[in-house]
Amino acid sequence: MSSTITETHTQHTGADSALKPERSQLGLLRPDHSKSVWISWLTTVDHKKIGVMYGAMALFFLLVGGFEALVIRTQLAIPENDLISAERYNQLFTMHGTTMIFLAVMPLNAAFFNFLVPLQIGARDVAFPRINSFSLWAFVAGALVINFGWLLEALEMFGLFNASGPTAGMNDFVPAMGWFGYAPITGKEFTGAGTDFWIMGLQILGIASLTAAMNFVVTIINMRAPGMKMMRMPVFTWMTLVVSLLIIFAFPAITVALGQLMFDRLFDTSFFATAGGGQPILWQHLFWIFGHPEVYILVLPAMGIVSEVLPAFSRKPLFGYAIVVFSGAVIGFLGFAVWSHHMFTTGLGKVATAAFSLLTMAIAVPTGVKIFNWIGTLWGGRVRFAPPMIFSLGFVWMFMMGGFSGIMHSSAPADAQQQDSYFVIAHFHYVAIGGIFLAVVSGIYFWLPKITGKMWKGNLSTYVAILSTVGLNITFFPMHFLGLLGMPRRTHTYLAGFGWETYNLVCTIGAYILATGIFLLVVDMIRCLRSGEPAGDDPWDARTLEWSTTSPPQVYNFARTPVIHARDAHWEDKYGPESRHTTYEADDGHGIHMPSNSWMPLIASVGFIPLGLGLSLMQAGVPFMGYMAIFGLITIFSAVALWAIEGPGGYHLHPKEATA
Amino acid sequence: MSTAADASAHDAHHNLMVDNKKLFMWLFLGSDCMFFGTLISTHLIYRKLYPEEYDPTHLFSLELTSFSTFILLMSSFLMALAVSAMHKGELKSFRRNVCGVIFFGLIFLGCQVYEFTEFVHEGLTLQSGTFGSTFFLLTGTHGVHVAIGVIWLLCMLFYTQNGKVDAHESAVDAEVAGLYWHFVDIVWIIIFTVIYLIEFIGKTGGAH
Amino acid sequence: MKDSPLDIPLPSIDKSGENKKYHAFVNLALILAAVTGIELVLVYLPFSIAFVYSVLIALSLFKFIAVIAWFMHLIYDKLILTLAFGTGMAIATGTYTALLFLLGSDRVAPVEIPGIVPM
Repeated sequence: MSSTITETHTQHTGADSALKPERSQLGLLRPDHSKSVWISWLTTVDHKKIGVMYGAMALFFLLVGGFEALVIRTQLAIPENDLISAERYNQLFTMHGTTMIFLAVMPLNAAFFNFLVPLQIGARDVAFPRINSFSLWAFVAGALVINFGWLLEALEMFGLFNASGPTAGMNDFVPAMGWFGYAPITGKEFTGAGTDFWIMGLQILGIASLTAAMNFVVTIINMRAPGMKMMRMPVFTWMTLVVSLLIIFAFPAITVALGQLMFDRLFDTSFFATAGGGQPILWQHLFWIFGHPEVYILVLPAMGIVSEVLPAFSRKPLFGYAIVVFSGAVIGFLGFAVWSHHMFTTGLGKVATAAFSLLTMAIAVPTGVKIFNWIGTLWGGRVRFAPPMIFSLGFVWMFMMGGFSGIMHSSAPADAQQQDSYFVIAHFHYVAIGGIFLAVVSGIYFWLPKITGKMWKGNLSTYVAILSTVGLNITFFPMHFLGLLGMPRRTHTYLAGFGWETYNLVCTIGAYILATGIFLLVVDMIRCLRSGEPAGDDPWDARTLEWSTTSPPQVYNFARTPVIHARDAHWEDKYGPESRHTTYEADDGHGIHMPSNSWMPLIASVGFIPLGLGLSLMQAGVPFMGYMAIFGLITIFSAVALWAIEGPGGYHLHPKEATA
Repeated sequence: MSTAADASAHDAHHNLMVDNKKLFMWLFLGSDCMFFGTLISTHLIYRKLYPEEYDPTHLFSLELTSFSTFILLMSSFLMALAVSAMHKGELKSFRRNVCGVIFFGLIFLGCQVYEFTEFVHEGLTLQSGTFGSTFFLLTGTHGVHVAIGVIWLLCMLFYTQNGKVDAHESAVDAEVAGLYWHFVDIVWIIIFTVIYLIEFIGKTGGAH
Repeated sequence: MKDSPLDIPLPSIDKSGENKKYHAFVNLALILAAVTGIELVLVYLPFSIAFVYSVLIALSLFKFIAVIAWFMHLIYDKLILTLAFGTGMAIATGTYTALLFLLGSDRVAPVEIPGIVPM
């Protein structure tokens, strides 16, 4: 897609301030070296800035999704509560799930991938910097499309908007059919334009994830510094590789399924619509062929983070590095072979049920191996209970609890009892909050000093850890009992007298404790950003290559290309023998080649907004929306064409450290 | 594994000595396998569930489909020649072959448009049950892939018209475009057999 | 981002290799055309259905692999590319073969659906 640089422009000036933007092959001035903060962030191709923006968006949506969860819990605090209507409740749990998975956790993982992977492998940037920028903005476009329904919902409340056209009379503009959108409830007869926003939004998010994933695989395979052999890479980078491959091979299934659903709604086809012979069960299969690998797409980066934090704070290498890496790959691969365990109660037949049950149990093996290796890392180490370590230890424990109830689900007869009950909610929230959330917070505490150059102040993190761990246990542990007592998930309200009242109240109280913990985390981050002391390059005495750069890292990452001689490169620099120290390639006088900023990825991604909104609003009977969709499509195609013509450009930096 | 990279003094290392763009394309094609796999299996599943729903043998014209299959295979052949020409630095030969590929691609698209209008005329539409839905979505998506390939190759003709190209980069660009084109071809090889040919087995006056 | 193409060895720039490939390409094009012809004729020939099925599948797989191996240069290229594509191909084949078996008509097609003749 990106074509070539036929000539390289070398500027033999020392200071950055003397750099002037050049003209692209389109004849337009490139947005390099801009004084404007807006231009330099909107057009950036720097993996670190892109990572920071991913992180900021993701944290915002984490708070949005958390707020939705709090409203849900408040509604369920007492029996027969009427805080919100049943319709609003459906919208809230649908958007809570969708937001948390696609708009909070996946981009948080992407934020870590972007910021860390090039630093960990000693690269200057990712393989395709402009595609990286495209992935970020396409994610933003998808997030806008999927949440656009809230605006229409508000307009509708003031009587300013009503659905006409194909979904006339159906004023549900926010998706309300659950995050897995089972057919036939997604049919045009049952749900309004909200489903269309969901379809288009997820489709755009899928494109963003796919391009980002291919970019990362190429980066990890091709851009490693000399000597950074595959088995010398940090485990987090390994998990990024596995997750990216999972995205590449799992997302097409949902892309096609969403496309077929879109055809069902727009053109009255019969892929999932029963009237023409469509089989709703097919949607479930296609969704979970994507959906189960997606679960590992969410959790494997968390495992990667923990595999970095535990060795750093135990002052020991990761126990059984090769086995941990191999287990991660096996989990990823097996993830493709277990999708039907989400569908045991649909009647798969005895053989299929037994096979999927066994395969699901098999996943416990590599997962257990990882947990043993983490504990083995702690064993005999000099453990320091610094903030990142506390959260990682919390991860190991809480994730194990989620894993245990997961093994209970893998037994098909037990699953038949637990299906669609609060037991399932308890299980996956232990994995999601006790696992992914705690690991991500651990990652934030670990790497934010590297990202911002500022160190944490005080010991607020201890309270964050206590409140969030206690809160999550109070919220989700009683849900196991609620599930076994028969409370179905996705109930808007319930009657007194089933023995559910106390448990529900406790859950709600726990949710507010957890929310307080998350609030304190935000406070702590703001304190760190506003008044943190300079962190220094290596505040935690850590092990991997990213800690040998400055905090925050320079725009060019490494002044001279590092040559790696051992695993845990930075640790070896500090404590290892001379032969294992990182060396640096000699400066060749050419300077460091930097890619040019570009508007094109941003414009191409923005084109997704009229495309997605146009197709969705067409369903709600807004006039001229077909033209808007076509306009969006033209925007995307022309921006991509201009992107190819303008050429990657680039300029050279001559940092002083390079010659020092 | 990184011997070449050790010799490299630049910030791009290429540890496995594969070009970035080529690796990206192959990953995309791996992903596209899953994409067309989903589409093809949707069609096959509904054929298996409702074998009597629709008999397409009176509609499909094997002569036409074989002709367009042949056309696509030959376009693939020309594409291979074009890529080979670019590797040898023969720009003129490259452009000639690419023109041939585009011409064959357009013939294929023409056949498909003709086929679709004919089918709609005969009463098979997107709305006529699962067969119509899955058939048109599958072959239509493939047609869109061919159309994108044609546009891509037209862009390559446009880029190379002034005759000044970087030898290595254009060889890689041509190869990546070629990979895409061949992939579209192999998807059609599968579609030709499992969507068209198999419908005719035992229904053509042969053995029953 | 590459700033110089020099550090990457050109993918087989030597002309003798390309000429050898040329002959392979011509031969393959002829074979592919012939196989397509055979497939077309085979459908009309009075062989048993199972036999025709198997031969058709085998021939299309042959064409599939031949185009990948020679036209797409996979046999001349690095193993990593075969792995990248092969993984996707293997996952897709495995998943959808399983799905075809899972969605048996006896389980998912209720007799009551109007307009559909059950098996």
